[in-house]
Amino acid sequence: MSQGEYPVYEVFGQKDRLAFHTHVGSIRAANPEMALQMAREAFFRRETVVDIWVVPQDAIYSAAQEPAYLPQIGEDKKYRLPSGYDNAPHWKRFKARAMSIEEVAEEMTGKRG
Amino acid sequence: MDDPIRTREFLDRLEQGDKIEATDWMPSEYRDLLIKQIHMHGISEIMGAYPEKEWVPKAPTIRRKLALNAKVQDEIGHGQMLLRLAEDLSRPYGRGREALMDDVIAGRVKFHNVFHMSAPTWADAGVIGFLVDGGAIITQAMLLDSSYAPYARMLKRIVAEESFHMQHGESVVLALAEGTDAQRNMLQEAINRWWEPMMFFFGPREMGRGSQRMMEYKIRTLTNEDLRQKFINRYVPRVRALGMSIPDPKLKQDPATGLWEYTDPDWDWFNKMVRDNSGPMSQARIALRRYAHEEQRWVREAVNHATQALAELPGA
Ligand SMILES: [Fe+2]
Ligand SMILES: [Fe+2]
Repeated sequence: MSQGEYPVYEVFGQKDRLAFHTHVGSIRAANPEMALQMAREAFFRRETVVDIWVVPQDAIYSAAQEPAYLPQIGEDKKYRLPSGYDNAPHWKRFKARAMSIEEVAEEMTGKRG
Repeated sequence: MDDPIRTREFLDRLEQGDKIEATDWMPSEYRDLLIKQIHMHGISEIMGAYPEKEWVPKAPTIRRKLALNAKVQDEIGHGQMLLRLAEDLSRPYGRGREALMDDVIAGRVKFHNVFHMSAPTWADAGVIGFLVDGGAIITQAMLLDSSYAPYARMLKRIVAEESFHMQHGESVVLALAEGTDAQRNMLQEAINRWWEPMMFFFGPREMGRGSQRMMEYKIRTLTNEDLRQKFINRYVPRVRALGMSIPDPKLKQDPATGLWEYTDPDWDWFNKMVRDNSGPMSQARIALRRYAHEEQRWVREAVNHATQALAELPGA
């Protein structure tokens, strides 16, 4: 790094209080405080966010560099998913209706998921 | 004592529906209630994996084995995610993962009554997914609205995975209900075993002071009795649709209020079991946890030493 070069920070924004921080890009800045200011100016001029994270790029370890650390693809994982179970016709045989977790969440919070 | 002005401001934030982060100032009572709740929740996820793990090698088909194993992995994962939250909150007390896990072995943290019980048949494995996960989902769906943002956020992820647990449990139960007389009997007997523990699961009719304070702090939004009523209301018709009966002669819905009358579980027996870890499987499962936590401690320490040694190598 030359004398005048700033380190790179990866930038994450949080849309609302209950959202996860999401990666939006990166910026260069002299220190974390400056990085937060730069991130605000670079990425959040229009969208509002309730929080911004800046993380020094060299603190990030990426699995894409080492595919052995990535989850297996192509394997049948349907047995891990709600869609892997077709219970509706079975409930119907018992004259009952299949239930989804979304309707439970809606009943409990009064909000549509 | 907490600063009364900051406490006032904090309560105003809650009143406005604002969510609290781990790094925000909070009254110590709020912090302590959260630690107690999330610690117990996380540990219950982990202890909840044990009754089902027992059935992984004995499940009837490879697909059922895969699915049950996937569910056990999810529950351990839920425990890990929740313990991280409890650890962040426990930072002022200097307590991390090791300490929170030591509490299980020393009997300083409780876990849900249902995970002290035995699961003697394959139908129990199914009914756990059907009724126990069903009950847990009702509680967790309520907590999606919690005032503590990290908890609400993590529950979004957890509830998404629970959706699979619900469908998987129902799939096992439906297969038994559609099966032979022996399978249907086995299912009925499992329902008979799990119904009373599920009535206890949501807690006493009159909530304790801690639970009441959790409602005032909007950590939770419904009472124990609200949750139990929602559970009964959803599951009684489903169990009956299968041609199964509920082992409670008092069970009756008031047509005017929609509320259910039910037989109280043996509160004293279950309370004592949860407090003293004196249930049929409590000690056996805690012994497994002790083995994983204490006897494997040297492995965790060795990995730390190795990492440190590598970092200190010349040229590292
Ligand atoms: Fe879970
Ligand atoms: Fe679950």
